[in-house]
Amino acid sequence: MSWIKRLFSRRRIYCELSEEIREHLEEKIEELVAGGMSRKEATYAARREFGNVTLVEEDSRTVWRWPSVENLLMDIRYSVRMLRKSPGFTIVAVLTLALGIGANTAIFSCINAWIINPLPYPQSDRLMVFATHDKKNGWTGEHVTSPADFFDFQKQNTSFEQSVAWTGASLNLTGDGSPELVDGGRVTWNFFDTLGAKPILGRTFTPDDDRSGSPHVVILSEGLWQGRYDGDPKIIGRNVTIGGEAYTVVGVMPGTFQFPLMGIANLWTPLALTDKQRADRGGSWLPAFGRLKPGVAQEQAEAEAGVFFSGLEKQFPQTNANLTWLVNSMTWDIRRKEGAPELMIVFVTVGLILLIACANVANLVLARATSRTREFAVRGALGATEGRLARQLLTESVLLFFLGGVGGTLFGFWGMKLIESWIPSRIRGYMINYGHVDLDFMTLAFTLGIALLCGLIFGLAPAFENTRLDVNRTLKEASGQASGSKRGARLRQIFVAGEIALAVVVLISTTLLVKSFIISVRTGPGFNPANVMTAQLALPRPKYINDSQRRNFGEEVLARLRALPGVASVGAASNIPFGGFGQGVVVEAVRRPAQPGERTGAEFWAASPGYFSTMQIGLVKGRLFNFADSQGSSPVVIISQSFAREFWPDEDPIGRQIRFGEQHTVSTIVGVVGDIMRNHLRERGSWQIYVPLTQFPSSTLAFVVRSSADPTMIATAIRDAIWSVDHDQPLSLAPLETLIAVVDAGYRVVTKLMVFFGTLAMFLGTFGIYGVMAHLVSQRIHEIGIRVALGASSVQVMRMVIGSGLQLAVVGIAVGIFVALGATRSLATLLYQVAPNDPLTFVAVPILFVAVAMAACYLPARRAMQVDPIVALRYE
Amino acid sequence: MKSREQRDLFPGALEMMILRTLKRQPLHGYALAQHIKRTSNDLLQIEEGSLYPALQRLLKEELAKAEWSISSTNRRVRTYKLTAKGAKHLEHEVSRFEKMLEGITRVLAPGES
Repeated sequence: MSWIKRLFSRRRIYCELSEEIREHLEEKIEELVAGGMSRKEATYAARREFGNVTLVEEDSRTVWRWPSVENLLMDIRYSVRMLRKSPGFTIVAVLTLALGIGANTAIFSCINAWIINPLPYPQSDRLMVFATHDKKNGWTGEHVTSPADFFDFQKQNTSFEQSVAWTGASLNLTGDGSPELVDGGRVTWNFFDTLGAKPILGRTFTPDDDRSGSPHVVILSEGLWQGRYDGDPKIIGRNVTIGGEAYTVVGVMPGTFQFPLMGIANLWTPLALTDKQRADRGGSWLPAFGRLKPGVAQEQAEAEAGVFFSGLEKQFPQTNANLTWLVNSMTWDIRRKEGAPELMIVFVTVGLILLIACANVANLVLARATSRTREFAVRGALGATEGRLARQLLTESVLLFFLGGVGGTLFGFWGMKLIESWIPSRIRGYMINYGHVDLDFMTLAFTLGIALLCGLIFGLAPAFENTRLDVNRTLKEASGQASGSKRGARLRQIFVAGEIALAVVVLISTTLLVKSFIISVRTGPGFNPANVMTAQLALPRPKYINDSQRRNFGEEVLARLRALPGVASVGAASNIPFGGFGQGVVVEAVRRPAQPGERTGAEFWAASPGYFSTMQIGLVKGRLFNFADSQGSSPVVIISQSFAREFWPDEDPIGRQIRFGEQHTVSTIVGVVGDIMRNHLRERGSWQIYVPLTQFPSSTLAFVVRSSADPTMIATAIRDAIWSVDHDQPLSLAPLETLIAVVDAGYRVVTKLMVFFGTLAMFLGTFGIYGVMAHLVSQRIHEIGIRVALGASSVQVMRMVIGSGLQLAVVGIAVGIFVALGATRSLATLLYQVAPNDPLTFVAVPILFVAVAMAACYLPARRAMQVDPIVALRYE
Repeated sequence: MKSREQRDLFPGALEMMILRTLKRQPLHGYALAQHIKRTSNDLLQIEEGSLYPALQRLLKEELAKAEWSISSTNRRVRTYKLTAKGAKHLEHEVSRFEKMLEGITRVLAPGES
């Protein structure tokens, strides 16, 4: 390969070339001298005839090269040298970029893991979730349908290959060690096949398994199989006890299988509804999804469901009036639950931060370039073309951004792990890949991509700015104090004003979120979670078959808990806010005849008398439950304030009656209590009703224990008290505050991130003003010296510097406010009791920025004040 | 800025002249420059230096080869020699050039239609 040989013999070629040219000149000179010229004259003449020796040599050498590649390498080598020569500049610029790029890397890696990556099922785009929608009243029951509607649709539709129904369940696993409450699901037989999941051992369910009365079978997760059963190779066919009944293990699913809508699940049994349950058309409680046939679009499926449900409406007006189905993509649904909208807001924010960081660095580059004008002029005079200089500058800036990208990857990796660690384990089950994030190829490509893109974009401006120079003028200027072009200064000011505007937008958004967070914390959930320990459990059906067994269990446990030392009060309810269970019922006021098809949903609790005082839910009117409200007495109910306000806006609700639930129980209202938040901290008052636990014994129970000190201290005592009543009863213990924190985690994460990014934006913005002002002052030292010499006082000088800085800041802030007015509207869903155009925020943030801008101008201004006219003018 | 190519010549013209000169006799750089200058009666404004990039191109394309030797004036010189490939290339280029020249001349010739 001759070109390889050439590559190595190049040094020799270059030497020969130089020698040859030298000999050429010598020969010419000698000839001219022989013709009677002086040696000096001859040398001049020879050189004139020859042309630019360096250039000729360079051009000749170029013949042997791959010019583009080698120029690039040379530019990079030179850039590295330049960056090393000014370490301060390099460190500041790289750090700024690392912060900006790293923030993007961290957020993008989350978005990539949770939102961009497809669901872990084959052809997941064909998976659709169903929702029941009431066309008249506008409510939507997400994922759920009534069993009768579901099975009819499953039988008759033509759009779906398979339709699946499922429910989440906490199942009591006993035998083989201590009792355990295992999260899992009850699913129709086709659940796994529809998702396209294959077991690692055994089989999935068959239609026979899914019949009521069939022998009980169960599928385990790999984790449960390994953990509880030590990976027993003969697990298939083994019997396990679930809820007191024997189940045969038929399969084990791989650890990678997950169904985020169900949350963490380690155990699946067939749904096996009874005929009576299958015929239920009145209650929408069964979650369902389906897999579209290939080639069928979502809209087609939804249209078919619409037609099908209008048929049901006519056939069953009692239960199906106004009801229809919505068909939504499962992917979309899961991503929405994972916080895709919130994450996108954060992503936009870090995008803005990156722009701010880039503007800062571009400004630094511009400022540095101004002090390098002489260097460029000299290189221009030596024969460098404009394009060549621009390429050199561009290489420098891209290299800078590349280093920033490398730093950003490290910083981003750390940030990504930090964000991941903020996700509570309880909600991980609802996230794809259990919320696990990794730095994969896609993220790395994204990071380096934005680093290089920003380097090119923000490097172009300084490159063009500085290569259009007038060699003559620059070299003539006395001291190298070249003042830089007017356009360069203008560009820097635009960058700074722009970055201040962006910082204002980010900071206003952050402030709104923080304010709403503080308000929601201060408002509280409507009860006092401090010092309350909770124990949630589900009574197994065969063991607690009738109401009195359940009632006795509850009363017995309450009595033992009350006797524990350090306990202030105890209570029990069918479920607790932020807990694992939740119930809703249909209610109507007895005062008016029920309109067919009109339903009002209310959150429902069966509560013991001590529940309200333990939770510290405030009584507004009437009375709480007492021990007289027992099994035999007339049914009573307590309603929430919002409910009372809606139904009896001008009347006293006490003594009125409501009808609720499947049994259409009629109860008399005896009290009104404050609204509480059940699912998250930013709910708007929902309708809530409470009935006495003695009158409505529940198979799900939650005990709440208020202690005088740290509630975790009595956790063991609470567990032992419950186990002293039934030693086989699994339960889950947690402080109430933890339950709330877990549910609120997503919002907390977003708020934390926004606070961090808001601070970062302000810091970068301030830094930008400072950098430009400092540079401006050092450029104008001369002018300031003259002003002082002509009698300007130091106060006037300071006013001049701070004034010009403030001018920039004010323009930036004004633009920022204007943009923020539009931008914050997208935050509306995240805000609680704070308007997106909250006046206080829109006044406070700009004032803060003016103050910060003044502070940033202060140091340069002080430097300007100390200018000694003699020193400044001496360099004339 | 200085132009790197000789604006007065079309690309390849210098190479062609060098090859033609070398066909007559091998020469070293300086002698080559003098010869081209002299024979063109100084009509062509060629910087002597511009010869060298062109010579390097010829070397690279293996149209010419070079050898160090001692000249008649007792000087260490690098003498360039036409290769077989160079001779063929020259022939080809010259005929191409003549065709081009003929075309240009016809267009420029007055009076004919």
